[in-house]
Formats: sequence, C-alpha cells, structure tokens
Amino acid sequence: MKKKLLAVLLSSAMVASLAACGSSTPADTSADTDAAATESTEATTEAAAEETTEAAAEETTEEAAAYELTDLYITVDGTLTANVDNGQDAFVEQWEAAVSEKLGHEIKLHINQPEHSGYKDNVAQLLTTGAPGDGQYPDALIMSATMFKQYQTTGILWNMADAYDNAEFQSRITLPIINENMKTDAGELYGFAPTYGNGCVTYIKQSWLDAAGLKVEDIKTFDDYYNMLKAFTKDGQTGVIAAGFGKMDEAPYINYMPEFWQGAYPAIYQKDGQWVDGFQEQATIDALNRLAQGYADGVIDKDTEEASTKTAREKWFSNDQTTSEGVFTYWAGTWLRTLTDNLDKNEVDTELGDDRLVQLPPIQEIKDTWGGYINREAPVWVITDDGDGDNSREQAIFDALLETMLDGDKVQTLWTYGAEDVHWSTHAEEFTTNPDDPDKKKDYSYAEGEFHLKQSPNDPNSVWKKNHLDPVLVIAPLTNGFIDNDPLIEEGNKFFTENCVDAPQSPSSETLTVVEADLVVDKTTLMNEVVAGKKTAEDAIAEYQAEWGDTITEILAELNAQ
Amino acid sequence: MFLPVFIYVIIVYYWPMLGIRYSFYDYTLKKIEFVGLKHFEKMFSDKEFWKAFTNTLVLSITKLLITTLASVIVSVFINEMANLFAKKVLQTVIYLPHFMSWTVTAAIFTLFLSTSSTGFINETLKSWGWITESIDFMHETDLWRPVYYLVNIWKETGWGTVIFLATLAGINPELYEAADIDGATRLQRIWYVTVPELANTIIIVLILNLAKVLNLFESVFVMYNNRVFEVSDVISTYIYRKTFMTAIPNYGYTTAVGLFKSLVGCVLVLLCNQASKKVRGRGIL
Repeated sequence: MKKKLLAVLLSSAMVASLAACGSSTPADTSADTDAAATESTEATTEAAAEETTEAAAEETTEEAAAYELTDLYITVDGTLTANVDNGQDAFVEQWEAAVSEKLGHEIKLHINQPEHSGYKDNVAQLLTTGAPGDGQYPDALIMSATMFKQYQTTGILWNMADAYDNAEFQSRITLPIINENMKTDAGELYGFAPTYGNGCVTYIKQSWLDAAGLKVEDIKTFDDYYNMLKAFTKDGQTGVIAAGFGKMDEAPYINYMPEFWQGAYPAIYQKDGQWVDGFQEQATIDALNRLAQGYADGVIDKDTEEASTKTAREKWFSNDQTTSEGVFTYWAGTWLRTLTDNLDKNEVDTELGDDRLVQLPPIQEIKDTWGGYINREAPVWVITDDGDGDNSREQAIFDALLETMLDGDKVQTLWTYGAEDVHWSTHAEEFTTNPDDPDKKKDYSYAEGEFHLKQSPNDPNSVWKKNHLDPVLVIAPLTNGFIDNDPLIEEGNKFFTENCVDAPQSPSSETLTVVEADLVVDKTTLMNEVVAGKKTAEDAIAEYQAEWGDTITEILAELNAQ
Repeated sequence: MFLPVFIYVIIVYYWPMLGIRYSFYDYTLKKIEFVGLKHFEKMFSDKEFWKAFTNTLVLSITKLLITTLASVIVSVFINEMANLFAKKVLQTVIYLPHFMSWTVTAAIFTLFLSTSSTGFINETLKSWGWITESIDFMHETDLWRPVYYLVNIWKETGWGTVIFLATLAGINPELYEAADIDGATRLQRIWYVTVPELANTIIIVLILNLAKVLNLFESVFVMYNNRVFEVSDVISTYIYRKTFMTAIPNYGYTTAVGLFKSLVGCVLVLLCNQASKKVRGRGIL
C-alpha cells in the first residue's frame, strides 16, 4: 500500500511540475529576449547611424560611469599561456591590482579556460545554456575568426563600434586596418582584434636535408617539394605530418598543408566580388588528388588523418626520430623558437643549435595562386550583450578589459609577457637552465633594470616566451620599452611577414551558421575518403553537390545579397 | 523517514526530468520558443538519425551476444581447470581490462592497429610477409565493427565471467558424479550438465542487458571517426555531435532525440520485465 501511495504521489508531483513548468515561462522569456534583442539592435544601429562620434563618446563615458563592474568573467582558449599551471594566479592578482587602480574601484577577474581543442564546443554550451551574471556566462571571450562569423549574426554579441572608435588606445594603433576590416557595412563592430592573425610556414629539419643531400634553396616547386618528401620517406621515417589533411572547421582551412592545397580553398569565399564555394572548384579536386597521391606514396604520415595539432607536433619533435617526419607546417614567429626548444629538449640535432630548422619559402605554385603563405583572419575578443538595451554593462566591460589590454604599459605587459617577477622581471638576476646537463646548460645574467623573461613557472629548464599577446603581432605596441628580442623569433616573424598574404574573409550567413557543423563533418569525411583512396575526388565532389548543392546555393544567395 | 526520501527522490530523480519539455521547444542562443512536434518530425525524417538508431541496435545486440558467449566459454574453461593457482591467475588477468578506462583502451588499440610505422600489428604482419600494404583497421567500414567487437571481448569478457563462475560453483556435484557413472566424457559432461545448468543464468544475463542496449556511447565515441560514421555512429554519439560539436546547437532537437531514446529504452525494459517473469517467475522491476 505504501509503495502504491508513493508511486501515486511521485506521479502527481511529476505531472504537476510538468504542467507548471510547461505553462509559458520559456515562451515569455523568448518574447522578452527577442524584444530586448530587437530593441538593443535597433538602438545600437540608430546610434551608430545618427549620433556623432562626440555624442557617442559622451554617452558611452556616462554609461560606463553609471555602471560599476565588480566582477569580470572571461573565457579564453589556450592562447592565454599563463594558465593555471603557469602562474595564472599571479597574472590575475596583478591584473586586478592594475585595473582596479585605473578604474578607481575594485574589480575581480574570473578566468574560465577550457581545454584548447574543445574550446569551440565549450563556448557553444556556455552561451546557449547560460545567462549574464550567472557566474559562468562570459562577459567577454576569445573567438577564432570562424567562430566569430558564426556568432556575429546571432544578436548575442555587443556592437562595440563606438567604444572602439573612442578608445584611448586609438592614438597608438599602428595597424588600424585589422579592426576596420571587421566592421560590417553598417559600421558595426562585434569583435576586437588586439593583434593581426599570423599564419603557418613550412619548417624542414636541417639534418634531414643534409642527410638527403638537399638544400632548401633548391626546393622551389611542388615537384621539388614532393621529391624532398620522397627522399625523407624511408625506414619508418616519413616526409610530412600535419593535424589533418585540411582543417575544414577553421579558416584558413589549408594552412597546415599549403604545398598540397596550393591555390585551392575548400570553403565559401569571395572571388572577384562574388561569394563562391571553393570546395566544388577544380582547384580543390586537384588538391585532393595530390593529397591522395602523397598518402598512397607514403610521404604523408598515416597518423595525419587523426592527429591533433598537439599529437602531430609532439611526434615531429619526438626524441624518437626514427618514426618522425622531416617537414611540418606550423605557426610562424614564436613557434619557430618553441619547436626549436622542443627539439633541443628531446636532444634532437643538438649540435645544430638554433639552426635546426629552416623555413621553406612558398613554392612557386603557392606564389602563383595565393601569392604566399596565408595570414589568417585575426582571432577576436567579443563582449556578450545582455540584451537589456542599455550599453552601460558592456561599455564597462570594454573599459576594464579591452581598453586596458592595450594601455601600452602595465596591463598590456601583463597580457604580453605575463606577471612581473613570475614570468618576467627588471630586477638583476642570474639563472641557469638545464644545470645538470653540461651539453644543454645555459646561463642567463641580467642587470638591475634590464627587462628579461624568467624561467617558465612549470619548467625551470626553459625560458618563458610570451603570454596572450604576441608583441610582434600586436596592433598597438608597448610604450614602456619592454621587449624581448629573441633573434630566432624575429627571424621567424620577418620571414612570415615577407612571405604572407591575407586570408580571404570568412562568410557570415544565418543558414551557414545552422548547417556548418554538418557541412564540416561531410567535407572532412569526403576529403579523408579521397585521400585514403576510397573514392575519387570527382566522385566525392559529385556526392557533396548532390547532398549540399541546394543548401550551398541558398547560402551563396544570402551572402551575395548582403 | 518517508518525507526526506520523498523530497530526495523528487529533487534528484524527478526534477531534472522536467528538462524533457525542451524537446517541444526551439532552445538556441537567446531563443526558447515552443514548436510542438517539429523536432520529432525532423528526427524521423533524418536519415542520419535512423542510421544511428540502426547502428545502435546492431552494435549493441551483437556485442551483447558475442561477449556473453565469450564469457560463457571462458567460464566453462576456467571451471574445468584443475590447477587452482593457474585458475586464480587467469581469472585476475582477464578481469584487469575491465578496470581500464575506454579512453586508455582505445588509445592502446589505435596505436597497435595504426597504419603508421608505429603500428605494431601492421608492422608485424608486414615483417612476416603476410601483407605488403598496411591494413587500416580503424578507418575501413568493413573492419571497424569486427575490431570494435574484438576490443569489447578483450575488455569485458573477464568481468562477464563473474556471474557465470558463481553459477558454475553452485552446480550440484552429484550431477557430475552421475554423468561419470554413466560414462560421460569431459565434453559430454560440459554439454549435458554444465551448459543446461548455465542456461537459466545466460538467459537472465541477456535479458538484463537487453534493457540497456541503447546506452552505447563511450566505447564508440573513443573509437570511431568520420570515415566509419556509416557503421559506427550510434544515438548517443549522434546526440553528442548535434549538441556539443555544433556552433549554435539547438538543445530542443537533441532533447527530443534523447527523449525518443529514453522511451524506446523504457519499452525495452518493460519487454525484458515480461520476459524475465516468464523465464524465472519474477520480473526485474
């Protein structure tokens, strides 16, 4: 009897709860948020169109003054290298002190740093299920260009055009074009890029070139490049490895294997003023055929298909070079130093020192099509709009986070190099890396007042490199003279700057945003099947057209009508 | 004592279930809107969903039958072992894989079966001259399922023997003595005494596990990849992809798929309950 009574009670409670919850709250919320979003958009659009810069400046200042931001929640990816294992506590503490002083009131910084490879999925979850002020929902967050374009049309990002135009750092910006290019036709700006994008260059191990009797100057065309890979491929060693044959979910898609992709761009992009689908173009078919040939010939490491960037690079600089690869295309500049240091750490080609790696100038086929390595669209910081039609919260976030991020001084140094006396210092000191290894031991000595980077908090055998902002890529340089001039990094940046071209702009379309995940899965599957020799490139593209042709036509029509 | 338990059950078990209402809503960024049965219509017309549903049943049921059969065979084999020490060692060794996480298991097998120069199996087969080209075990649609079943047998057979060994230990020795007197060989003893005594347990194990056939996620998720979606994508991985690997997910849709899965699961449990009542005289609920 008791059991039955309990069952009846539970059932009643369940039904009653369902009835109560299903009444209308979500629908009402929807109406409210829709209305708020519409109001907000209208208000900001009108403001952008009608108000003068001066008036906007006054308004935003007043708004910020009216709103006191005491807690700032940010979500960041792995590009904030001062992570929890690497002195993040000190970074946060010093940031809070410096920004509180600037703002004139206390502010607390809360950093949510999900695992880098799952960042996109984590952000989608946070933004969909959370709400501003819930302690999880980000006030501001980092987005890649692809993510940014997906979210730009959703109404959850704040139009920071006025805040950006009136920012104090405007007077020091040396590369205004980066953010100006991100503005919509209506002049709205939903993301802020503190640096330009950077891109990948092809690195070759010098020792492998020497062993094959080759010189980098002789690698000028795809045939030269391919023959080099063939020469490298023997006895368990392979020519090249990458994180996937192409990265279909992130622009610029082709930058990890540019020699194979050459002029192809397997995504929607603008060509002669019109949006087109590059995946259906002959250039993509040709590229897939080249990749398939490379895979069949064994010059592309078989682990490439499933490898993450971490897996690929760790295999490349592994201490077991008998199953490694000679070529790896990866990020320019600071990564030249990081890759070299990792080879050093694994005692690979120790005798070559900083000359372990050579950078391959773009091969002729890349020069003839793109013109050089692709400089990706810059990752951006975005501010979430709470949809209340009032900009004061958002302006306060901008002032606390983005305005100070490029202050040229204390806070920018924190974002660039990390925390003082943890990641860098100006105090006299001496330290030694690898003190127990006579071959790798290196002494460092600095005088009082001399800016220098310290040993990495989680690895005393390596020297800290940078935090979130790359000092070479930043759009408004530091004004305090703090610069770490590592010649290898300078060389890497110079090489990339001399050999790069800007990536095509990513599309922003509502339909594309809805279908993009499925599109990426299908394109990746087709690409992998072609490369593995399971189907021809022509059949794969025909299959793609049959499945996605109508949707792509709809997306292109949307984009071309903008 | 009734009230605390009642409140606990309501909060922990029933309150979260209210989320099922979202299967009738569009639940995306800044939008929660009632849409009726829209998601169910979309789901039933999505061939990817049906592929996942079919794969779930095929993978789960085949896995269940194969691992149960393997557990029975291994149990009988262990039961027949005379050396107690060897018996204990074997039992311990075959239990161990069960305690490894699926992530580690998948990493080990992926490495073993890799087509690159680090792939132990392919390199060994090549060195023996059995193959000239590496076999892509993890990416071939024809091979993925057999590999999946094999990994499951390796991981779960040992653990599956626990219940059968307990049953075997409870078989009346007089039955074996009677068989000996009748001149039964060892194989005949197994076939005419051991197997019939195990039959009831085998059926119960199958019935109990049949109710859980739709709960297939981790083992597939860590082993599958784009190229084998056709034969490996199951309902849970389908839900995961649509929820967590989409730029702007619609939680309403994935809740609807989850609700459908739960309803089918409920029906299976009820069927198994009926089957259990018939086989052993009492239900599982």
